[in-house]
Amino acid sequence: MTHFSSKTAIAGYGATEFSKNSGRSELRLAVEAVLAALADAGIAAGEVDGISTYTMDNNGEQEVFRAIGGRNLKFFSRIAQGGGATCAPLQQAAMAITCGIADVVVVYRAMNERSEYRFGQPMHALPPTSDNVVFAYHGMSGLMTPAAMMGMMMRRYMQDSGATSHDFAHYAVLARKHAATNPQAFFYGKPITIEDHQASRMIADPLHLLDCCQESDGAVAVVVVSAERARDLRQKPVYIRAAAQGSPAGTLGLSGFYRDNIAPYDECAAAGRQLYAQAGLMPKDIDAAILYDHFGPSVFPGLEAYGFCEKGEAKAFVKDGNLEIGGRLPLNMHGGQLGEAYIHGMNGVAEAVRQLRGTAVNQVPGVRTMLVTAGSGVPTSAAILGVD
Amino acid sequence: MTATETRGHNAPCSNRDFDFFYRGLESGRLLAQRCSRCATLRSLPSPACGQCQSLEWEEFELSGEGRVFSYTIHHHPPLPGFAVPHPVVLVDMIEGVRLLGPMDGTPPDEVAIGMSVRADFTRRGDVAAFRFRKA
Ligand SMILES: [Zn+2]
Repeated sequence: MTHFSSKTAIAGYGATEFSKNSGRSELRLAVEAVLAALADAGIAAGEVDGISTYTMDNNGEQEVFRAIGGRNLKFFSRIAQGGGATCAPLQQAAMAITCGIADVVVVYRAMNERSEYRFGQPMHALPPTSDNVVFAYHGMSGLMTPAAMMGMMMRRYMQDSGATSHDFAHYAVLARKHAATNPQAFFYGKPITIEDHQASRMIADPLHLLDCCQESDGAVAVVVVSAERARDLRQKPVYIRAAAQGSPAGTLGLSGFYRDNIAPYDECAAAGRQLYAQAGLMPKDIDAAILYDHFGPSVFPGLEAYGFCEKGEAKAFVKDGNLEIGGRLPLNMHGGQLGEAYIHGMNGVAEAVRQLRGTAVNQVPGVRTMLVTAGSGVPTSAAILGVD
Repeated sequence: MTATETRGHNAPCSNRDFDFFYRGLESGRLLAQRCSRCATLRSLPSPACGQCQSLEWEEFELSGEGRVFSYTIHHHPPLPGFAVPHPVVLVDMIEGVRLLGPMDGTPPDEVAIGMSVRADFTRRGDVAAFRFRKA
């Protein structure tokens, strides 16, 4: 087991409401979520000495720190790769705390992704950075949106696995079923059917509208401290059993078209191997999971890559009801990013915390160990969280 | 000075690793890189050979022929410079490298994995370009 396995814990989490127009600045969203997380943990703002977030977050750590009345920030780091970052700031926090660099690390993601800018728009006219020249090289062919890039990957996955859009519909139905009973979800009270999915407009063949995550405004934050400290705080500690990043050869930012298997698989398998080794656990030890659903179909190769079924078998695994509450691997009980909100996966981390504390609205009975993953089809990250 | 005078092409977002590809399109050539040391071909431009780490390379002209490995049909939102629905294909070229290209001009429902395609050259505004057609 790795040196930092279970040495740190999530002691608090906080979130704003999820909407299509927050009506306030992204910085305010970040600050609200951070303050809520600190209050949840029972830790004073003045104790925060570390911050880790995504490079795509528009809120400077020093600005968040100024707003909350921080005193002495000693550790601040950012992780690239958009939604591939999700669990990496947890790893940063765990490493910083375990190394004695910081004691109280706040992780946040805040965005007015629907009301101020939209990730789904064609990417063009960008400055020629190393990443942008790759986007532009593909963009000159008219491959310009995340949906089209994922569509390219998933079309080949369908060819290799025999999975169909009808199979993918089962995940969308499940996510919306869970969202339907989650009052925080944008799609609360709005379940869908297989037929709704199949009839929804095509966005980037093979991806239908109901395969795509929402566009959302909102923020989520968590507070990480040492396991020792967490045990003295008011909430049940949610231990970071493992946290890893994965970017094996051929993995690029939604552009990994030049490796043998272009499905969003290799990077997930690479992260998964590290997680299980760090935590001394196996896929069978995972009681429930949050798999990143920027696009619902990516969940299928994800289930295979993280070891819950063999390659090509996810379509049967999903159809057989394994992802339902009460099934073998209850999945995305908050409704996922299709159903609850799209906060670059941080709302999934929050759901894992609620599940492990036993306070979720769609609670899985007796859950003690959970996998949480980040965006796939990009350099990714994942974590195993658990309670005693 | 225009971009064409400085870099030999009008592609809007390029750097000195990618310029050769767009210059090739200006002269009706589909170019890859061939490592000068180990002769490995690479299509997505890179300053170094991932096989032998050599920084030396030369331009290698592709035949334009290959087979579709995967594809997507972009429907929404509207795309700058393209009508929708717009097919994009990922092609295994006969030389052994993979190349992403547009397939506008071919009805989207005719695009399929495994089909043989061939590149031809066009211009999109003032930018030299290529696209695939059924071979
Ligand atoms: Zn070489």
